[in-house]
Amino acid sequence: MVYITSWDDFVEKSVQLFRADPEKTRYGMKYRHCDGKLVLKVTDDRECIKFKTDQAQDAKKMEKLNNIFFTLMARGPEGNIVSRDYFTNQLIYPMQMSPFIYLFLVNRDV
Amino acid sequence: MVRLQPDPFLNELTNMFERTTEKGSVWVTLKHSSDKSKVQRNKMKTCGEKIEYRCLVRATDGKKTISTLVGPKDHQRFQASYATILKARMTALRKRERKDKRKAADSDKKEDSKIRSTASKTTN
Repeated sequence: MVYITSWDDFVEKSVQLFRADPEKTRYGMKYRHCDGKLVLKVTDDRECIKFKTDQAQDAKKMEKLNNIFFTLMARGPEGNIVSRDYFTNQLIYPMQMSPFIYLFLVNRDV
Repeated sequence: MVRLQPDPFLNELTNMFERTTEKGSVWVTLKHSSDKSKVQRNKMKTCGEKIEYRCLVRATDGKKTISTLVGPKDHQRFQASYATILKARMTALRKRERKDKRKAADSDKKEDSKIRSTASKTTN
């Protein structure tokens, strides 16, 4: 389980994950009132990133992330970045993608 | 797995938070879903039919699971109510005490390190 310490990194990576595979990516949250701990998890069943905290200020940041995900998931990703070819099940990379996302996706076992 | 409408789902979610105050956790998961199986989705793709996607929200306390589908039209109202519930319930998280404690601890550490460095200089 990869725990990310920087909140902004976590948000950026989770949106990248979702845009890359909206069918499989899910965003989970676990809250324990007795321990005062909050853990966020974003995974597409290949990669997983997590963020844990016990700070109240992070709960406010999480609300903004919730809004982002609700919008993305209810309305659909704005322009599905990576799609799968139905017959060959290969990932189709469109040319418009920025190069650093290619670097991010190259490590995955397709 | 109980499938509810958004409003009863929110009520039940509030109850879950109430029940797990002393012991236990609440898990809430969001997923982009069409509520159709892969076979149906592929058939619809080949027919050229547009697949309607919604946001699937699941919540569990380890024993009971509830879920709901939120469409693009009502997602803003849902997320506002959801945010209100979280704000009201997530009260166990620490407020910014650490920063003040850290500042005090850091200043103490700096004083200690200064004392030690001067002590080592005098001994050497």
